[in-house]
Amino acid sequence: MKKLIVFTMVFLTAFSLFAGGKSEKETGNVMLTIAGRDGAYGDSMQMAADAYHEKHPEVTFEVLKLSGGSLYEKTVIDLKSKTGTYDIILIDDPNAPQYQQAKWLADLDVLYSEEGKKVDADFIKPALKTCRFPYKDDGTLYGLPFAGNVELFAYRTDLFEKYGFSEPVKWSELLKAVKTIDEKENGVNGVVFRGSKGNPIVTGFLPIFWAFGGKIIDDSGNVTINSKAGLDALNYFLELSKYAPEGVAMYQSAQVKDAVYAGTAAVAPEVWPGWIGDLENPEKSSVVGKVKVIKHPGEIEKSSPMIGIWIAAIPEASKNKKAAFDFLQFLTSYDMQVEMADKFGNPPTRQKPYTLSSLQTKSPWYPAQLDALNNGVARTRSTDWKQIEDKLGSALQFALIGDLTAEEALIQVEKEIKTIIK
Amino acid sequence: MKFVKEKNGGIFFYMIIAPAVLFMIWLTVYPVINVIYLSFFDYDFFSGTKNFAGIENYLQVIGDKLFQRAFLNTMVFSVSATIAEVSLGTLLAFIFYRQFRGKKLFMTIVIFPMMLSTMVVCAVWRILYHYDIGLLNYLVSSSGLEPVGWLINKNMAMISIIIVDIWQWTPFAFIIMNAAMSSIPSEIFEAAQIDGAGSFKTAFKITLPILTSQIFLILMLRTIDTFKLFGKVYALTQGGPGNSTETVSYYIYREGFSYFNMGKASAASLCVLLVIASFSFIYIRQIFQED
Amino acid sequence: MALVINKKNRIIFWIFLIFITLIILFPIYWIFATSLKTPIEAIKPVPTLFPHEPTLQNYAGVYKSGFFKNLFNSIFVAVASTTLSVLLAFPASYALVRFNFPYKFKNIFLIWILVVKILPPVVLAIPIYSMFTGLGLVNSLWGLILVYQVYTIPYCIWMLFGFLKSLPINYEEAALIDGASKNYILWKVVFPLTRTGVIATTIFSIIMAWDEFLFALLFIRTPALRTLPLVIVNFIGEYETLWGELMGVGLLTTIPILIFSSFVYKYYTKGFSMGLK
Repeated sequence: MKKLIVFTMVFLTAFSLFAGGKSEKETGNVMLTIAGRDGAYGDSMQMAADAYHEKHPEVTFEVLKLSGGSLYEKTVIDLKSKTGTYDIILIDDPNAPQYQQAKWLADLDVLYSEEGKKVDADFIKPALKTCRFPYKDDGTLYGLPFAGNVELFAYRTDLFEKYGFSEPVKWSELLKAVKTIDEKENGVNGVVFRGSKGNPIVTGFLPIFWAFGGKIIDDSGNVTINSKAGLDALNYFLELSKYAPEGVAMYQSAQVKDAVYAGTAAVAPEVWPGWIGDLENPEKSSVVGKVKVIKHPGEIEKSSPMIGIWIAAIPEASKNKKAAFDFLQFLTSYDMQVEMADKFGNPPTRQKPYTLSSLQTKSPWYPAQLDALNNGVARTRSTDWKQIEDKLGSALQFALIGDLTAEEALIQVEKEIKTIIK
Repeated sequence: MKFVKEKNGGIFFYMIIAPAVLFMIWLTVYPVINVIYLSFFDYDFFSGTKNFAGIENYLQVIGDKLFQRAFLNTMVFSVSATIAEVSLGTLLAFIFYRQFRGKKLFMTIVIFPMMLSTMVVCAVWRILYHYDIGLLNYLVSSSGLEPVGWLINKNMAMISIIIVDIWQWTPFAFIIMNAAMSSIPSEIFEAAQIDGAGSFKTAFKITLPILTSQIFLILMLRTIDTFKLFGKVYALTQGGPGNSTETVSYYIYREGFSYFNMGKASAASLCVLLVIASFSFIYIRQIFQED
Repeated sequence: MALVINKKNRIIFWIFLIFITLIILFPIYWIFATSLKTPIEAIKPVPTLFPHEPTLQNYAGVYKSGFFKNLFNSIFVAVASTTLSVLLAFPASYALVRFNFPYKFKNIFLIWILVVKILPPVVLAIPIYSMFTGLGLVNSLWGLILVYQVYTIPYCIWMLFGFLKSLPINYEEAALIDGASKNYILWKVVFPLTRTGVIATTIFSIIMAWDEFLFALLFIRTPALRTLPLVIVNFIGEYETLWGELMGVGLLTTIPILIFSSFVYKYYTKGFSMGLK
């Protein structure tokens, strides 16, 4: 036994020598710690950091690549302690009001005016607006848009043509096409979307809800989800879901993606720039040349795609605000945005990259994406958005699996949202 | 007991327990008191404002339909998984009590699932359970039956999660029982053999009474762990379909780390604590009894 | 020690054993097979039992992800936190079993640590995080080792308490009569007698530290200090799961624990006949 303990102790001491960590305090040098996302966002961020380091060797980086949920938990808990651990953080736009209201973020208007600059006019308006608080065009700027995600709509051109349908402009027209293809085409479902509880199903539902003229909370702060528009939208959504695959109530992005790539669905009312990049790649996709990505149909209102911006912000407690701000401008500059889009498909937050022909050949849907971004609707600005989203997500799912009728679901969620924001 | 009577015997025991006690005090007193304290406050994590709320958090949690459902689900999960794991584990331990060829190999296989990362376990079961391309449904439909909605049918999802937990954690009960049985003095068995007792039945009869306190211990530890069910739900169903796999830990996680309603999360934790503690009381009494 | 069983029982025994083994092995086999499949084969509509074009590309991917660097963090944290827990818990449990502390101290302490074990990490993490921030223990493996004690110590104490309680006192009394010191008895008589219990406790404690995610996520920032669970989640992306790599990393992750447990088993069973006379 003694031998074992001695061995363990020696091992631990030896290891602790290099586990103790390296001290990073060399004079003049700055290390920027970035709390960012994983996947393509992470690769883009890493590339930008490497490029910046090459230009400014005195600045080094520590880039954290986290899933959306982990990023949120880690940054909220750390920012609360105000220790200045992070110099740049990414924020999913619906969560931004929480960070902004808590005054955890550095005011970029101040930093811009210190440098005698102004925020570039090329940024896409709805994307930039999510960085402002209050949520107005002249609200204080608390970040810059890093990735301009927007929900898009995909359909199978070959199948639509085969059964004599044209590109859907209105949701109500779409239903017939979905129904026909679902019934007649073997091995193809009419539609596929994310039916999983919480955020996924809400994301799928909102463009329909908005197009039907619905609003979760109106401008004067009343809960208006249980309106005629809301009911019409939900009934439509339920009608549409009849032509979805078995078990759609548990579908997440991965399943939707697989279905679209494998060609087992005629319509996907919710696709994201982040995963449609390989649609024209015959090694991964069996629908090369058969899928068209467009902006959503409208209904009473015009097309209302949902935007999801990843905001890059500087925590107020950061000890390297100047350096962080300089990097932030580099990160969101035209050149960098183009390069990130080119290498990793990171959706640009500026207008100009979308008009670049080299990027358009790679991503033929870019004009549609820019159009969608400019028409984009942001999710309800509320510090309680996460709770609202979860409640709405549960109610929608209950309706989807038939535990509640559309009316009951809306009554329930209306009551719950009222309790949350009271 | 005889030790105690001895002069100055106590000092030794105080000295050997002190490090653990002091360490636990340093590490846990503040966090636990903090949980109790926050459960009585309406605490806005972002702005930092705290307002005394009395038992409002508790009332909200108990009155929340989602919590009630989550609680029932957790009970179902905890009771069935615990009972299944402990009985299967004990049974396995009896099988492994005798010597046989390849025992070591079989033993390694049996405890393997427990060593896998929970995330990987969930990932492989998600493939196996997949409605369209999963192997289980492939087997089911090739034997001419309707495919099963393992994770997508609201009546089936919880059962599927229970199966995964049994698969992963039966080895826990097995190892403890195996360890406990191997410390039973062999004389007892030799005596039994001389008496002509040789079947498993007699083995059960002789050993089970000796193993009671171990069995109660595993029951308690597994009850606690299964009550904390979170990872599997998070990875397999996110609480769906509907609310069929919502659990209290998932509820607390959402209140705590998603909405940062620390007051409500604390209150919910303490409600759960109270229930598990009263549950465990049965076991604890049994374990303490012999004194 | 073996039980005498007749032929009929022996056949039932083997059938049962093989049946159980198959159930246990199947998902493990699937993990193994998937780790050798190409990404396209891994999500084929008709599942393939054997990889058609076995490939090691997934393991190459795991290697590239920096798995081996992070492996050492995990080994260090798991070994250190378990060693600390067992060294603190074993004497403590022994004292709880053999000594009557006044004022119901035993019950209070055991229930207190049980309460700690029951409370979900979500509500304990934030106060501990702020405690550790003040002490400079955040983003350090030592901090992680300390925070794991919140769950490993209660667990070890309860487990060892159970094993020590079922130990007959005769051996200790005999040693005491022979004039052995209490310290000697604790480590040279009691410890060897309960070794199977200690092994079981150690293995579980290691597994707990090995598989822990939430605290690791919160307390570790620097990528080079991450433990394996933080690496593993990287293979589960928002849009796609890298099945092959995930399964590969899953298998590789078990190897150190497997080696460890067979090592301790061997080490302890070697001296088996010496212990119990």
